[in-house]
Amino acid sequence: MIDHILSVLIFFPAVAAVFGFIIHKDSMRAYGVAVSVIEFALALWLWFAFDSNVSGMQFMELIPVVPSFGINYILGVDGISLFIIILAAFFTLIGIASLTDTKNVKNMIITLLFLQMTMVGVFAALDAIIFYVFWELSLVPMLYIIGAWGGPLRIYASVKFFLYTFAGSLVMLVGMLFMAYFYYQATGVWSFAILDWYRLILPESFQLWLFAAFFIGFAIKVPMFPFHTWLPYAHGQAPTIGSVILAAILLKMGTYAFIRFSLPLFPDASVFYMYPIAILAIIMIIYTAMVAYAQEDVKQVVAYSSVSHMGVIILGTFALNVEGISGSIFLMIAHGVVSGALFLLVGVIYDRRHTKMMDQFGGLAHVMPRYATIFGIMLMASVGMPLTINFVGEFLSLLGFYQQSHTLTLLAGVAIIVGAIYMLAAYKKMFFGEITKDENRNLKDVNKRELLALIPLSIITIWLGVYPKPVLGPINNSVESIVQLMHDKATSVEAKIRIPNVIEGIVITRTPAGEAH
Amino acid sequence: MEIGLNHYLVLSTILFAIGLVGVMRRKNLLLLFFATEILLNAVNIAFAAISHYYGDLTGQMFAFFVIAIAASELAVGLGLLIVWFKRHGTIDLDTMTSMRG
Amino acid sequence: MENLLYIALFSPLVSSLFAALFTATPKKQFIGIIASLLIFTSFVSSSFLLAEILITGTPVHVEMMTWMATGNLYIPFGFVVDQVSVTMMMVVTLVSTIVHIYSIGYMDHDKGFNRFFSWLSAFVFSMMVLVMSDNYAGLFIGWEGVGLCSWGLIGFWFHKEVATWAANEAFIMNRIADLGMLIGIFLVYWNTGTLQYDGAFAAFATLDTATLTWIGIFLFIGAMGKSAQFPLHTWLADAMEGPTPVSALIHAATMVTAGVYLVVRSNELYDLIPNVGLFIASLGAFVALFAASMALVNRDMKRIIAYSTLSQLGYMFAAAGLGAYWVALFHLMAHAFFKALLFLGAGNVMHAMHDELDPFKMGGLKKKMTATAVMMTLASVALAGIFPLAGFFSKDAILESAFVEHHFIIYSVLLFTAGLTAFYSFRLVALIFHGEERYKLFGIDPHEAYKFMLIAMSPLLLLAIIAGSLKMTYYEMVTALLPATEYHIHNHLVYWIMTIGTQLFVILAIVYAYKKYANSKVTVPDGTSAMENSFGYKLLINQYYIPYFYEEYIVKSYRELSKIFWKQVDLKIVDATVDGIAGVLYSTGERTRDMQSGNLSTMLKWMVAGTIGLLSLAVVFGLAVRYSDAILAILSGLGV
Repeated sequence: MIDHILSVLIFFPAVAAVFGFIIHKDSMRAYGVAVSVIEFALALWLWFAFDSNVSGMQFMELIPVVPSFGINYILGVDGISLFIIILAAFFTLIGIASLTDTKNVKNMIITLLFLQMTMVGVFAALDAIIFYVFWELSLVPMLYIIGAWGGPLRIYASVKFFLYTFAGSLVMLVGMLFMAYFYYQATGVWSFAILDWYRLILPESFQLWLFAAFFIGFAIKVPMFPFHTWLPYAHGQAPTIGSVILAAILLKMGTYAFIRFSLPLFPDASVFYMYPIAILAIIMIIYTAMVAYAQEDVKQVVAYSSVSHMGVIILGTFALNVEGISGSIFLMIAHGVVSGALFLLVGVIYDRRHTKMMDQFGGLAHVMPRYATIFGIMLMASVGMPLTINFVGEFLSLLGFYQQSHTLTLLAGVAIIVGAIYMLAAYKKMFFGEITKDENRNLKDVNKRELLALIPLSIITIWLGVYPKPVLGPINNSVESIVQLMHDKATSVEAKIRIPNVIEGIVITRTPAGEAH
Repeated sequence: MEIGLNHYLVLSTILFAIGLVGVMRRKNLLLLFFATEILLNAVNIAFAAISHYYGDLTGQMFAFFVIAIAASELAVGLGLLIVWFKRHGTIDLDTMTSMRG
Repeated sequence: MENLLYIALFSPLVSSLFAALFTATPKKQFIGIIASLLIFTSFVSSSFLLAEILITGTPVHVEMMTWMATGNLYIPFGFVVDQVSVTMMMVVTLVSTIVHIYSIGYMDHDKGFNRFFSWLSAFVFSMMVLVMSDNYAGLFIGWEGVGLCSWGLIGFWFHKEVATWAANEAFIMNRIADLGMLIGIFLVYWNTGTLQYDGAFAAFATLDTATLTWIGIFLFIGAMGKSAQFPLHTWLADAMEGPTPVSALIHAATMVTAGVYLVVRSNELYDLIPNVGLFIASLGAFVALFAASMALVNRDMKRIIAYSTLSQLGYMFAAAGLGAYWVALFHLMAHAFFKALLFLGAGNVMHAMHDELDPFKMGGLKKKMTATAVMMTLASVALAGIFPLAGFFSKDAILESAFVEHHFIIYSVLLFTAGLTAFYSFRLVALIFHGEERYKLFGIDPHEAYKFMLIAMSPLLLLAIIAGSLKMTYYEMVTALLPATEYHIHNHLVYWIMTIGTQLFVILAIVYAYKKYANSKVTVPDGTSAMENSFGYKLLINQYYIPYFYEEYIVKSYRELSKIFWKQVDLKIVDATVDGIAGVLYSTGERTRDMQSGNLSTMLKWMVAGTIGLLSLAVVFGLAVRYSDAILAILSGLGV
């Protein structure tokens, strides 16, 4: 079974979801929890069986689908995708376990299980077409979650979410087809396998166009400024569980794809676009942090803060060195945990007060001390307090980018200031002061079901902040090999300088596309 | 003056133009059928003439096909027309807009 | 030794976690006692370590575990106890033990008793991490940790708007400086390849001055935030909204001195860049004078002491900037003792006066609170720098070092400030303890604090008196690590003139303060006197309008800009563009649907038009292909 564990991880929730239709709705929650517990256990087993010293892909599976066009069902994990898969399993589990009273709970759980299939699929796929299939499929359950359980503007929000990301993905698909065509031109055989593409060295002019095509698809997903406006609507209207999964996992698909596709396939273009993207990332960091400060709805604060943190992730990715990329991958996980937890926390108060407007709160620390404490921990993690999970990622990302540009890092570092401003302001508005609204006087503190989700997240937040090695080690190995690959593939002089040579003397098979013409 | 291919083609073009104007301008469904017949026969003339010019029978064969299909089309079309007239009492095209998008 | 180190480091953490278990439960006295005991344990371990260092002179260095390791970066949790850090450990653990015990009495009636001890111990832990780490990243952990605890403790009474506002202000202002610190750390890493002190210091010698200058500047920006140097100083006065023991521990004795510690710790860096050092010294001297001037007129007891702290921090930076690191560290230590004592005394007065802070509303309290009066007076004497108390030795050494280094402007500023210090300190003492018993007007019945609180304060009193005699022992110990420059004025005559002159100047200032404020004519100012309406007074009481400026021009414009970004830019430009593109597509469909009128006649017309269009395209393309050569020739002739 361990040989096919990735397929199992992908399709087990889907099969379970199909069976879910015949389960009675009263026992659905237990069924959902059971399935996601098994799935999470399998994900942990994957981690256990994963060899941290190997930098390449593990647990590879290959089933030909359309061999004549080189489309194959190829799966595999490395240190980069492993933890995001585990995170996806983990968040589905706590998402289902902490699901509050929802109408149509059966449909919700079935949808979540389908969503899990697509999420794991995206991160495990090593074939561009399979990747694309899962990438697009993940939109459907999310569309349904927002559209069926969302707030008053749910139709607008869900359609916007769907069409916007879908439009971007189509450009990405064109890029993929183009890439495969180049591969065909260069080698005479079709292949959509990412690992095959890695070996292809493209002329810089092609790289620039292909990078741009992929960039649009990824940037909308991340979402990068100025493509971010679907996110506040999606978060604002989605139910708690939808926001949690969206922030924790779905956004990571964009940044993950940058590392999986853009960097190793187009090293020269990555160097070429480094500064423009870094500037976009800095705008993202500062601008959305300021927008977050102006918000009146606490969920929007967290939503905009997500965009701001994603900016740091992008910046770390485009540091193009081991420190920065490792940091950005770690920050993906960190941000998943922290923003997921923050959305759950917002959900807690929304369940009690049915509003998310901060002026409706105030003084909550008097009546809900435990809630305030956990919120405080997550707040501090979000602003990047050392010994919390976020700090490791942010520190490494910024440290990495510092090698590329001093001034831009200084500007990006403003993140730690503006982040503190909006978060502390929001916390003060919600928790400090006297209780002014009578509705707030008798609020119940967090209950057991909510603690079930929040305590593990708090533990992870501290644990990985103090001891990030179990996660950082495997990430580091895989990132080193990717950076080395980029260094070797780089053709322009600047790229050779910008991308450090990690290990001396690794030779890769060079198949310049130019030769085939 | 001998009548050559060009004369036939000019005739065909004139007939086609007449048919085309008829298709565009006529509001009566019956007259629309007439106009399409003119169009088809304009093409038939061209087919037959060119076929004769090249000494290749394919064109004339094609003309027969066109005639046959036009006849069957007209049969079906007139049938529908009569049904429509019985139901609505008019065959004015402007009243038939149920397929509006 | 390693175990002692771990005990010293982690018992505050244990204390904090233990108290944290009870935060949601009602007040329990034993939590305060256990927390105090655990901090005391830490103090005892630190004392053993001090003894060890004094005897053997070899630092204790441990590496607990890896923290971050990726690429070439390797950051462990490493701790070092050497002559510098052990000094800080002693100061931190001693003052915090006393403050913990004191707080048992001070926070007696507070609902958040348990929570208070959790935060306070967490602060001690962070401070220990800060001073004991053997690398810049570890220092940064403690650095942010103390910032966090300071946030929690300033905003401890979170129902008070001013308190939470001050907490956020302190945190955010520190964050601004922390960015500088972070950039400094990045610079150290990318230039030396390590963040360990020893490795980095060894590599500094090989770097060029420009790089070192940048490192020095950015690290010092971090220090400016934590030590509240101009222009990041406003948070310190506002931080006085927190409970008084917090002010004594965090905002007088320990956290605010972290900046000085950083500069002292990085002495090998600052030795290489004397220009930055001079800047630090000048800024320090400026802040000393600047803060002292604000203390002259203030009417809030705690704020006066806070400004005095700020001023003394300026002294420390002046010394550190001039390369007299051991003097800076010595003043840091001495200052910690008498300033904590002063704050705790102020806490007693506050309790007695039911949280009244205006010294003009007190007066004559020495009858009711003799012990506190004696302690605060002695602390003020020490602060003013009168022989033979602690402040004399440390402050005099700073003045001497400025003199010996020939920075006479800095020297005269510091000398003048010494007079101001004496004046405002005794203005406060005189207003509180002497003169008419003005508090009777407000119907307050003051009482002395609990006896155990006074006993807890007594070690500080003792140290404030005798710390000066430890100077030479201290010098011998700490110069194993820091540059051993003795600042002696070789000309004996000059030396004696200076020393006695300074003493006389200070004593005159004290006498003047007493004359002005310890008489029966002092009344509660009502804003009508000529002095209160003078420009100078207004400038000082409004803190040079700097908080006003920050609020009006920075905070407000940030808020406004945020609003504009959200409402105008994000919603009206970025999002509207997206919706606009969608709208164009949608309206195109809306408009073109007229084609599908359902009218056969219209549709046939469109069909004909379409056919003609396609046919003409075909003709055009056919012609273009046929005559492509000619067209190209024409185009190239046109210069396309």
